Amino acid sequence: MGLEDISVVASSGGEQLTGNASAVLNEVAAMLAALAERGESGIVDLGGLPMSSADKAWLTEKLGQGEIEMSLDIGGPSKIRETAFHGVWWLVHHNDKGVLTGEFIEVTRVPELVSSHIDDIRRAAVNLGFLANDNH
Amino acid sequence: MRDKEGVLLAGLAEHGVSRRTFMKFCTTLASLMALPAASGVAMAEALATARRPSVIWLHFQECTGCTESITRSHSPTIEGLIFDLISLDYQETLMAAAGHQAEEALHKAMKDNEGKYLLIVEGSIAQGLNGAYSTVAGRSNLDTLKEVAKGAAAIVAVGSCASYGGIPKANPNPTSAASVSDIIKDKPIVNIPGCPPIPVVMTGVMAHFLTFGSLPELDKLGRPKAFYGETIHDRCYRRAFYDQGKFAKTFDDEGARNGWCLFELGCKGPVTYNACATTKWNGGTSWPVESGHGCLGCSEPDFWDAGSFYKALSMPANPLKVASGVAAVGAAVGVAVSLANRAKKGAAKAAHETTTLPDLEK
Repeated sequence: MGLEDISVVASSGGEQLTGNASAVLNEVAAMLAALAERGESGIVDLGGLPMSSADKAWLTEKLGQGEIEMSLDIGGPSKIRETAFHGVWWLVHHNDKGVLTGEFIEVTRVPELVSSHIDDIRRAAVNLGFLANDNH
Repeated sequence: MRDKEGVLLAGLAEHGVSRRTFMKFCTTLASLMALPAASGVAMAEALATARRPSVIWLHFQECTGCTESITRSHSPTIEGLIFDLISLDYQETLMAAAGHQAEEALHKAMKDNEGKYLLIVEGSIAQGLNGAYSTVAGRSNLDTLKEVAKGAAAIVAVGSCASYGGIPKANPNPTSAASVSDIIKDKPIVNIPGCPPIPVVMTGVMAHFLTFGSLPELDKLGRPKAFYGETIHDRCYRRAFYDQGKFAKTFDDEGARNGWCLFELGCKGPVTYNACATTKWNGGTSWPVESGHGCLGCSEPDFWDAGSFYKALSMPANPLKVASGVAAVGAAVGVAVSLANRAKKGAAKAAHETTTLPDLEK
């Protein structure tokens, strides 16, 4: 008998809604209201919640897809996409082995990870200046 | 052992780690530590310019599994960063030096960083015969710990052995093994129990120390609340089945195949505080419950003597009573029972019958 003959399902907790997805949706709605009224950003860590795959699917459907989707190659692939609600971003991080390391909903104007740091901009300005001068 | 004067981000850049990669790491770490949302960015800013502290890592009565857990973690970009956060000045397993050279490195690190170095202890400390059961370089672990702890800013007890005595302390504890906190009373001590502990917890404690200049908030057993604040049961993806009363009764019944709750198979998740359910193991691949086996409770004190791993919590085992009962009936009967059980297991295997919990416990 081979392993394929053993009908073991490794994880089937994902088929049912646990009720956590609707709680997250309410939290995101409150964060977005805070961003709209007071400019306060917020973040929800989906990896830290016991959510089934059905929960994730439900939340994904409710939040929908917006206009922007970004792929980052930073110590493994990351995806950032804006949901159908402006200011609500869905971030998924993987490590360089392709294993999921983090999943967040960030409520902000632009995710912090995307913005260039001022120190890096200054360094880049110097380097680009050298490059431009070399071309003269 | 890198130049301890260098700041962290500059060192990482040499290895091709960009600021965004580092920020991604810090965001994940802050999330794991249940820090406020903005902490990931703050942590990245602080760590980027942090000076790496001197760390002395001592091995006592242990299997080196804790070091293995951290150094062989599947995701070096995350957990491996521990070695970029610190200047590891003495670690018997990893250092190239040996013998007198190694001992000189230890004493130099202690002298140069008096009152500032972090001491990491792996393993329990033998107290019997004045510590003679476990010695390194001709000195007992007991003496070494007392000497090195004196000049430490703080101590991290890594693994269940250093935190609570672990398996060396299990009955009958022949070496009178003790934990670090049983011996050292005048230093801040963080316990990171687990057999082995989760690698990213070490990184989290270091990152907290470097970012905020203090050790993270601890529970009553000296564990960082961020990682040990909730039970395995509370964060378990099978929790919904517990609430619905759906339990696997054996390891190969329909409930087991359907991924139902392992409570009745002896899972210690409800009384075990650790982060396995969220951080998982092997680079986030899986963890014991996801692999179909209940939690052993390895991050709790005296887990090895807490009864059978396969007894449900609602009917706690009492191994001492069982042992005396067998002794009263007589050794011959005990042997006969054992042989009968072995025969039954063999027959069950041949006929592919379901093996029951009592079979496993005999």
